Amino acid sequence: MKLEMGHIFINDIQFGEVSKIENGVLYVAEEAVREIVLEDEKIKSVSFDIARPGESVRITPVKDVIEPRCKVEGKGGIFPGVIAKVDTVGSGKTYALKGMAVVTAGKIVGFQEGIIDMTGLGAQYTPFSKLNNFVMVCEPVDGIKPHDYEKAVRLAGFRVACYLGELSRDLTPDETKVYETYGIMEGKEKYPDLPRVAYVQMLQSQGLLHDTYVYGVDAKKIVPTIMHPTEVMDGAIVSGNCVSACDKNPTYVHLNNPVVHDLFEEHGKTINFVCHIITNENVYLADKMRSSDWTAKLCRFLDLDAVIVSQEGFGNPDTDLIMNTKKIEAEGVKTVIITDEYAGRDGKSQSLADSDPSADAVVTGGNANQLITLPKLDKVIGTLDYVNVIAGASDHTLQEDGSLVVELQVLTGATNETGFNLLSAR
Amino acid sequence: MSKIKVVHYINQFFANIGGEEMAHVPAEIRVGEKIGPGLALAQAFGEEAEIVATVICGDSYFNENLDKAKAEILEMIKSQNPDIVVAGPAFNAGRYGVACGTVCEMVQEELGIPTVTGMYAENPGADMFKNKVYTCPTKNSAAGMRDAVKKMAPLALKLAKGEPIGASCEDGYMPNGTRVNLFEKERGSKRAVKMLLKKLAGKPFETEFPMPTFDRVEPAAAVKDLSKATIALCTSGGIVPKGNPDHIESSNATRYGEYDITGVMDLTEDTYETAHGGYDPVYANEDADRVLPVDVLREMESKGIIGKLHNKFYTTVGNGTAVKSARAFADEYAQKLLADGVDAVIMTST
Amino acid sequence: MDKRFIIITNNTMVRDEFEGKYQVEYEDLSYEDTLKKVRDRVQEGYKLLTHPLSGSVKPNETPYKSVMISAHPEKLDFQSLDIIERAIHSCGKFAFRSDKYRPEVYEDFRTIDFTLISSAIPSTDFLK
Repeated sequence: MKLEMGHIFINDIQFGEVSKIENGVLYVAEEAVREIVLEDEKIKSVSFDIARPGESVRITPVKDVIEPRCKVEGKGGIFPGVIAKVDTVGSGKTYALKGMAVVTAGKIVGFQEGIIDMTGLGAQYTPFSKLNNFVMVCEPVDGIKPHDYEKAVRLAGFRVACYLGELSRDLTPDETKVYETYGIMEGKEKYPDLPRVAYVQMLQSQGLLHDTYVYGVDAKKIVPTIMHPTEVMDGAIVSGNCVSACDKNPTYVHLNNPVVHDLFEEHGKTINFVCHIITNENVYLADKMRSSDWTAKLCRFLDLDAVIVSQEGFGNPDTDLIMNTKKIEAEGVKTVIITDEYAGRDGKSQSLADSDPSADAVVTGGNANQLITLPKLDKVIGTLDYVNVIAGASDHTLQEDGSLVVELQVLTGATNETGFNLLSAR
Repeated sequence: MSKIKVVHYINQFFANIGGEEMAHVPAEIRVGEKIGPGLALAQAFGEEAEIVATVICGDSYFNENLDKAKAEILEMIKSQNPDIVVAGPAFNAGRYGVACGTVCEMVQEELGIPTVTGMYAENPGADMFKNKVYTCPTKNSAAGMRDAVKKMAPLALKLAKGEPIGASCEDGYMPNGTRVNLFEKERGSKRAVKMLLKKLAGKPFETEFPMPTFDRVEPAAAVKDLSKATIALCTSGGIVPKGNPDHIESSNATRYGEYDITGVMDLTEDTYETAHGGYDPVYANEDADRVLPVDVLREMESKGIIGKLHNKFYTTVGNGTAVKSARAFADEYAQKLLADGVDAVIMTST
Repeated sequence: MDKRFIIITNNTMVRDEFEGKYQVEYEDLSYEDTLKKVRDRVQEGYKLLTHPLSGSVKPNETPYKSVMISAHPEKLDFQSLDIIERAIHSCGKFAFRSDKYRPEVYEDFRTIDFTLISSAIPSTDFLK
């Protein structure tokens, strides 16, 4: 399967009369996007804002971060089974608006986390501070259940991202990259001597605010399966998360999955990137057993030499991570795993809730309990009402000078477990 | 700004006094002098810091007169009011390494002054102190002096200035059980791919998070017939005959004791006590059977539940004792137990 | 009533929603004490059916926890014991703040805990 990715660089976002992309600037017609958001009767109102890198702006509570894309050629459309109709994606040609994102924000539950600071210390930790962010804060109709509100905001974000992505359809990309993987036999013939490597991605799948969708299917209902690594680039996997901000994968991370991209860098040179295996992180222990049995089985079935396993979230998924690693290693397939740590504020506690000596090659996204002080910023998009009570905020979060003392875990994407960041720990 | 004041601790060998034959020399302080490795350190400090005094102590003197030596050295260091104390590097010298760690820990706790030491990873002092004292990994011989100083001097300066200390890989000390965040040059996924390529090629790679390892011991087969078995009692709870005849240390034990309990039916306040410094000894001293249940075993012996209680027990203090030392003790006395025909051991801890 | 499992909870919403349908043992305990109650059961031979650290809302943040265990004690299950012990241990890593929220936020906590435990129910279809 072959996918050509066309990158359209967006250097700035501005509101305008007509939505368009011109000379690297995205102009957004506010009324047009409002109409798209309000298609859902569960949303009462929406406000839009733009946050640029370096501006004294704090966005919170963030729900999702989405990169606008447009399916230009080939089967299916962006976000199949969710926005586009169900069809296998990952081939043909897709355009992406690089350097920007749609950020959905707003209170879904009272303890919701998620901060993106566009400047200061916090900006060094959240990867989304480097993007021009088109922020939408949705207010729900009265009396709505969190479940319905989450879904409404989730889908509104995707609709807006698709609308903006669509603006690039007739443009010429600034940069083009081609990604191609092969069928099992074909790949073996093409790269007979290269080690066979796959990516095992664990998807958060525990319930409300902890869900992930694959082609529109709730990931807790899947058994581990195989995908072409290009499928995620068309939005085959989307986020339904909004707690544990630091180590949940927003949709942006799924679209730009760094393990997929970095394995492609080596594909055909030092490795044969065979496929992308997805599995889940259910609450029910027998589901964990079955899913880890299956990932290990698939690894053996595909005659893999090695895999990278990535995790999503805290606690419960540690058990899945270790089960997967143990069983895959037991099949004679080498593993490198990516996780993050909760080692306490002093860094002295046991980092993971499970461990095994077979997990001897670990990359860490850092200690999420580390305290940092975020400076007072001039503007808040969303609301600070809840910052004082979010997970990881300390007893004296709000300082006299307006700065916030918080744990790293409140920053969106700060300790991402797909290896999205430079942060690590020793 | 005035220069940072450093006190340097070394043993008799590095002070050019002599080798093992001179290891008995007591502690002394030479104010205004920098000696041996101190010269290299001073050079690395440049204008920022100066070694105001060197404390020298023979390794045997230190070990054999632990409390006295510690008190003397503490006074010497205190008299100089330093900003930082540097000990060693000790390379692979075991007793010297333990002395460096002991001095550093004491200085930190008693004087609140930061310290740095350096030694080879397999020096027993490393295991004992790396989680308490910043310990730079060095080569296993003095040939690695330059390399050692290159790590120890900058770390000492940082500590003296009260600057935040980075992760172990950034500031060149042994991982000490405290996780510290850092920014790498490449993103995590890239690091994972590189690690994977190394692992695939069978090349050495370094995990960013070593999984905690547990020394899991397979349980031995069950004793078939207890009524015919000889059972021995062993403990890491420090139970010793009154007066602690072998001077088993209250912490970081370097030895174990073997004591005969032929005819002893009960451990009493007058006959036994604990040497352990890690728990409140009142109840153990009152009745040492609470830790080493000789009374109960005698009862079972008389009722025929067990064949007999072995006439010797083995004891040490688990408090802060290096795993390596503990393993060595057990390796040794396990052989004695086997030779004596013991079928099973009850090992008690506290 | 479905008696194939027991839900140990300190969440009134779980009690109220599941009462009469499933065996629910509700007690007004802290998060950590609820885990300890589960541990006691595991030590008696009950098996864990759901992960005690379900959900990304951290211990000491949410006050609520619901855990599903087997209906009857059998032989001690070491995996269950390992998981529950580690879960209790991890409570200590997070600053306690379960009492710092506005009253309306607790309803959200109850809802999330309820949906987390509910997500396990369909998986019990073939439980004997």
